[in-house]
Amino acid sequence: MTRYGMSIDLDKCMGCRACMEACKVENSTPPGSFFMYVFRLEQGEYPSARVSFLPRPCMHCDNAPCVKVCPVGARYKREDGIVATDWDRCIGCRYCEVACPYGVNTFNWMDPAENTYLDYDDADVAAVTGGVVPPYRNPALEEPYGPEQRMIAGGGHSRGVMEKCTFCVHRVEDGLDPACVQTCPVRALTFGDLDDPTSAVSRAIQGRTGFRLLEEAGTEPRVHYVGGAAPGPEAREVDEPVTEV
Amino acid sequence: MRVSRRTFLKGAGAGGASIAALRLLGGPGTTLVSAEEAGGPPVLDTVPATCWIGKQECGMVAHRVDGRVIKFEGDPGSPRNLGTLCPKGISQIMPLYDPNRVKAPLVRTNAKGESGTWRAASWDEAMGITAAALQEVLDRDPSLVLWQKGRSKSKYLYDEAVPDALACSKFGHGAYCSDAGYRAMEYTVGLKGVLNPDFRHTKFVLAWGWNAVSAGGNQLCYITWPRQLLEAKANGMKVVFVDPRIRGAGPFADDWLPIRPATDLALALALTNVVLEADAIDRDYLTRYTDAPYLVGDDGRFLRDEDVPLVWDERTGQPIPVGTPGAKVALEGPFDLGDVELRTAFDRFREHIAQYTPAWAAEITGVPADDIRRIGLEIVANANIGATVVVDGVSLPYRPVGIMAYHAMQQELGFQATRALAQLMMVIGALGAVGGTLATTKWEIDSKYYDWDVVEIGDGPYSFSLSGSKYYPINSGNPSVAALTMLDPAPWNVDKAPEAVIIHMANPVVSFPNNQVIKDAYQKLKFMVVLSPWLSETADLFADVVLPVATVEKYEGPNSTSDTYVDAVTIRTPPMEPLFQSRGEIDIYIDLMDRLGRLNGEGGYLAYVNEGFELEGEHAIPLDAKPTAREILDYYAKGHDIHEGIAYFEKNPTYVKGELTPAQRYGYAMDPPFGGIVHRFYGERLLDYQRTMQEKGAEEIFWQDYTPLPTWRQPTMDSSPPEFDLYLISHKLVEHKQSRTSFIPLLKELTGGQQVDINTQTAQVKGITEGDAVWVESHNAVTGETRRVRTVARLTGTIRPDTVSMRHGFGLWTHPGARDQGPTPNELFFTGPGYVANTADQSFQVKVRVYRAEEG
Amino acid sequence: MATTARTLPAERGRGGRTWYPVVALLLILLGVGIYAYLEELSEGMAVTGLRNLGPQGGATWGLYITFVIYFVGLSFAGISTAALIRLAKIDKLRPIVRMAELLTVICLMLAAMTIVADLGQPLRGIVNLFRYARPQSPFFGTFTLVISGYLFASLVYLYLDGRRDAAVRAAEGAPYRGFLRAWAAGYSDTEPERVRHRRASFWLSIAIVPLLVTAHSTLGFVFGLQVGRPGWYSALQAPAFVMLAGVSGLGMLIILAAIARRSLHLQARLGLPMFRTLGIFMFVSLLVYLYFVGVELLTNLYTGSVRERDVLRELLGGDYAWLYWSAIAGFVIAAALLVAWLAVQQLRTHIWPLVVAGVLVNLGAMAKRFLIVVPSQTEGQLLPYADGSYAPSWTEYAVIGGLLALGVLLFLGFAKVFPIIPLPEEGDDGKVVT
Repeated sequence: MTRYGMSIDLDKCMGCRACMEACKVENSTPPGSFFMYVFRLEQGEYPSARVSFLPRPCMHCDNAPCVKVCPVGARYKREDGIVATDWDRCIGCRYCEVACPYGVNTFNWMDPAENTYLDYDDADVAAVTGGVVPPYRNPALEEPYGPEQRMIAGGGHSRGVMEKCTFCVHRVEDGLDPACVQTCPVRALTFGDLDDPTSAVSRAIQGRTGFRLLEEAGTEPRVHYVGGAAPGPEAREVDEPVTEV
Repeated sequence: MRVSRRTFLKGAGAGGASIAALRLLGGPGTTLVSAEEAGGPPVLDTVPATCWIGKQECGMVAHRVDGRVIKFEGDPGSPRNLGTLCPKGISQIMPLYDPNRVKAPLVRTNAKGESGTWRAASWDEAMGITAAALQEVLDRDPSLVLWQKGRSKSKYLYDEAVPDALACSKFGHGAYCSDAGYRAMEYTVGLKGVLNPDFRHTKFVLAWGWNAVSAGGNQLCYITWPRQLLEAKANGMKVVFVDPRIRGAGPFADDWLPIRPATDLALALALTNVVLEADAIDRDYLTRYTDAPYLVGDDGRFLRDEDVPLVWDERTGQPIPVGTPGAKVALEGPFDLGDVELRTAFDRFREHIAQYTPAWAAEITGVPADDIRRIGLEIVANANIGATVVVDGVSLPYRPVGIMAYHAMQQELGFQATRALAQLMMVIGALGAVGGTLATTKWEIDSKYYDWDVVEIGDGPYSFSLSGSKYYPINSGNPSVAALTMLDPAPWNVDKAPEAVIIHMANPVVSFPNNQVIKDAYQKLKFMVVLSPWLSETADLFADVVLPVATVEKYEGPNSTSDTYVDAVTIRTPPMEPLFQSRGEIDIYIDLMDRLGRLNGEGGYLAYVNEGFELEGEHAIPLDAKPTAREILDYYAKGHDIHEGIAYFEKNPTYVKGELTPAQRYGYAMDPPFGGIVHRFYGERLLDYQRTMQEKGAEEIFWQDYTPLPTWRQPTMDSSPPEFDLYLISHKLVEHKQSRTSFIPLLKELTGGQQVDINTQTAQVKGITEGDAVWVESHNAVTGETRRVRTVARLTGTIRPDTVSMRHGFGLWTHPGARDQGPTPNELFFTGPGYVANTADQSFQVKVRVYRAEEG
Repeated sequence: MATTARTLPAERGRGGRTWYPVVALLLILLGVGIYAYLEELSEGMAVTGLRNLGPQGGATWGLYITFVIYFVGLSFAGISTAALIRLAKIDKLRPIVRMAELLTVICLMLAAMTIVADLGQPLRGIVNLFRYARPQSPFFGTFTLVISGYLFASLVYLYLDGRRDAAVRAAEGAPYRGFLRAWAAGYSDTEPERVRHRRASFWLSIAIVPLLVTAHSTLGFVFGLQVGRPGWYSALQAPAFVMLAGVSGLGMLIILAAIARRSLHLQARLGLPMFRTLGIFMFVSLLVYLYFVGVELLTNLYTGSVRERDVLRELLGGDYAWLYWSAIAGFVIAAALLVAWLAVQQLRTHIWPLVVAGVLVNLGAMAKRFLIVVPSQTEGQLLPYADGSYAPSWTEYAVIGGLLALGVLLFLGFAKVFPIIPLPEEGDDGKVVT
């Protein structure tokens, strides 16, 4: 059985956030909501202060706290390892959000149709786009996926439900890489079957020293970092994204 | 195809009331589904596109659903980006559909100098008004019409053919970019670029003011250089960052020299001092390809025999004219000729450099002497003088020491600082060597090499660009300096001011320092037409006519997408029809030229296009036609071995020409090497210009940097009073490009707005805490003026204690997404003497003080 | 037993001067709360001050969840008091047994309503919680299984326990006879019936005690099992929840009893010995709770992990310090008052020290619940997100205010219709127990 995972090479990551942008456009997440997130971190004092970058998708943990706590089973783990959120079943209790040690979940506080980046009610734009909001919304996000045929792709579907990184399940089922992996200008991200030694992700991890984030929490994350180091306790964010709703 | 709840409800006749009721009860989530999907399955396809938002023209693939673009991804076939895109490229999907784009041509209805009110006009009317206004000025004096670009994405269709056909003046943006470096390299080695390493083969790189993770380096933009940097690091390359701030290095710096702003020249000289002391001198290169061995008289000029400079022949023990066959030219003397001691330029150079010791430089630059010496010795250790390597079957000198320098050279001493860095590389023979330092994608000798040697300095009166003036003999053409002459022509002996301006992809009132000077000067223009997708701030204040241009959805080009190893070209083709009533600039200019009677015939626009594209015979565009942009580009493609013509680019974003040959990349591999020109190690002509400027009465501030060898002096801004205790510099963010991104919500949300980065300890001393509102106030040491802006302080340990830095890309106000983004540092940087280089290039450095907003 | 007609202290027609203004105020609060909730339904939860934790720098569980815990906590004291009375035969507390039962029932209903107010998809939530229930989830365990079960058991208890009084009142000719007769459901005040009644109450009390402990423990588990939330992840979470529930519940009972005593002139039936018993129970529970607080504090101060200490720092000296120290001060002053009340002769004749202590521990409980829920989200990130902040919006205050008003209205409404203090009955030995 396929066992999907991701590797992130911190010796390459430029912190450019192309992955955040690609994810956002691919998944149509609303303002303030990021599935893929990139920390720009700083630690130390002048003149030994240094900068580091840490991309943080959902870890799709094998022992996911969020799956355990979902009262209605809207958050579940697929056989291929992807931890999915059925936005048609989610009741919006946000327990998965408080349970996640990584802070990857976002809740739609507003109706995505009203929480748009620009005013897409504009008649001239609507004439071109057929009234789709946002205009770049991919209809593939409205389809069901997986053997369970559940509504788990993308974001910005409705208010009052939870969303998070899906490993671009709608692309993966078509044999494509997640959007973040596809766009990384320095190829710092890889994705694939961790059980296949010839897959891109296995090759990226092999022979490299690495770590997984918050391993001591027992979550068994499927995202492997190679190179670099986990951020120390003194690391602080700089260039934080603006996330107000 | 799953029927969505919304379509079902609609089909069931359930009205909005029931939907509202369901929403009230938090019922089934309303999914955002297109109305058009109620029909059959969507048609998915991909078409080529080219990124418009940056400067690299990265090839893109546009994904479409029923003809509607929903995503851009990188084109795997484009060498620059290899199938990837930076965040700007991806976010382009949003400005494409921005309802705030200018939808129809606009004509101003109120006075200029305040926020504009507009009426929509037809293209015909707007073009008619524009043509009439331009024609009026062209008839009187075409040089009073100014074509001004910020960025141009088709050199031969815009920058060359438009001003040529109109015989009008033109300004670029180079004076704000890195033209001080360009001028230095054009003069010194005939290359139209600054400095970049040969990443594939280099082992040691000085990243000189290069924000590797957030900005472009020499000529190329983000993506390509950082990728090559990482590949080189994986091959064992070491990189030292020379920069007042280290954030731009990300985690990749092997070392950091935290240099005081504006002291780059001093550090370059000191490094050269260390290299010379260690005797790491590529005598072969210097003797054969430069003017270093030329004999220099006491007057500082070369000794000549009938116009031919003399060198010392070791065989005969006599001076002989350079180029004499069979001579064994000596690099170093001194030589005795009777009772006269003759020195070579290199001797002069050595004597000159002797004073610039690491200890001396430590005082000025703030970099400890030991570090300077250490880095200098690392240069020596990596230089491998005398070594050769075989590249593509050609044996070439191997000098794996590179420098990446670009925007940092836009400072008062930038011209000479670049010359000093070039000299450092020339001493070890790394310029044009494998693994060494290059300056351009292809080693092609630019005509400016000759032009800058024969500048005629007139007495005036001068034109507003001050070209050929006693102020800036080597002149990059700085619109801000021109603005000064427009405001007060008499002191500059200027008798002309532009009257009509065509603004092409530029936003001067925000992008060009000093904003107030620009605004005051533009107020005097009689007519301005702005070509822009949005109502730019410049248009808002001063445009008479705004012509809406498309963003990515147009024909434009051609542009290189070479990554400096593989050559390729791209032509932008539209992935969908231009939105609203926007058009591509090429079509606008064709129409404009036609109305002005400059389109056809010899000397017309099309004739210049043929010339620029080198189209002849059957490939030339017929001079009596009125082609579309698509047709013109079709001619171009077919005239350049792309037999399918434009149709090729409508299927593929990129046409790859192939790997560049050693002769195209490395000056040494050319035949003759370096194109047969002499590298001007010693800048004799600069001395000549200095003397002429003095004779004609120019003040010292204009001629003091026209020296044959780079000579340190204290920057003018240092004489600001001591309460202006901090240096203000500026930096880019990878998310932003000039003035066309910070209102795009997808990019804006990534970084927030303006802030001033201040050293943590410095802030503590000033009682400033994280997030405090502060004033940043600049001072002009020459005129005594001050300017201030209000922003937010962010504390960091990654910047020198005596330096603060602000971001570029902000200061906008017209787009709703731009509100509250904060000011641009271009309000604080000054222009004019003391704040431009000796080439009129703009400086982006000034002394400031920073204090909490309550105290102001 | 004498069957003289009597009117109950708070019956219809016996409103007193304060009745109408108080009810009017409560109705206004309720109205405002309903309006606020309707706004939340139509605009989405963006009208609250809640925001996503992590990159958005907010707290996703805030005032609503605080009061879910608070309401469930109050419900503890109700039934446990009733059960104690039956099991341990603490007859002194008999007069407040119905108030206690009612407190539990009302608080559990309020808790359930507050949960629904906190759901992003409330209608779907109610349906899906039944349709797709996952017992492995502590949320499901607490909010569905236990609270529903607990509420159900409490309603049964209240119902059974009230049958006798309903029958008596119906026989006396009290208003709402139809309702009373339905409640009584054939209860006749005979000796065997009374014995059956007492036995049923006894067994119910035994049955409800484990449910009681489970309910509050699983509530603690909701938080205590979360390895990803510094400040939550602790074995002490469940026991601490139980203890604070007891303290605040007992405090609320004292307040309710004192109000009843004053407004209904029940000084005789709600006498000092009863208050003394309640007071001692509250005092002991408070001491145990403060012990837990001290243990947790000491552990984390001594060698807490970096993130735990981040949260602690904010509690002790940072953004939340004002609330934390106010709560601690409240508990300590309450404890001091209780000590004084127990020790000082003159004070023992007064009720007010107990009432003040009761108010203080309830305010402290509200604050402490908030401090458990929120800081671990805004400051307790394991990844280096910038610190966040959370302040409830007027919507949240209004909804909570409306719910509190609803609770008081339900209480008052019940008192209008049914004996809020159980009618006197015979004990096992035949003596009349008041």
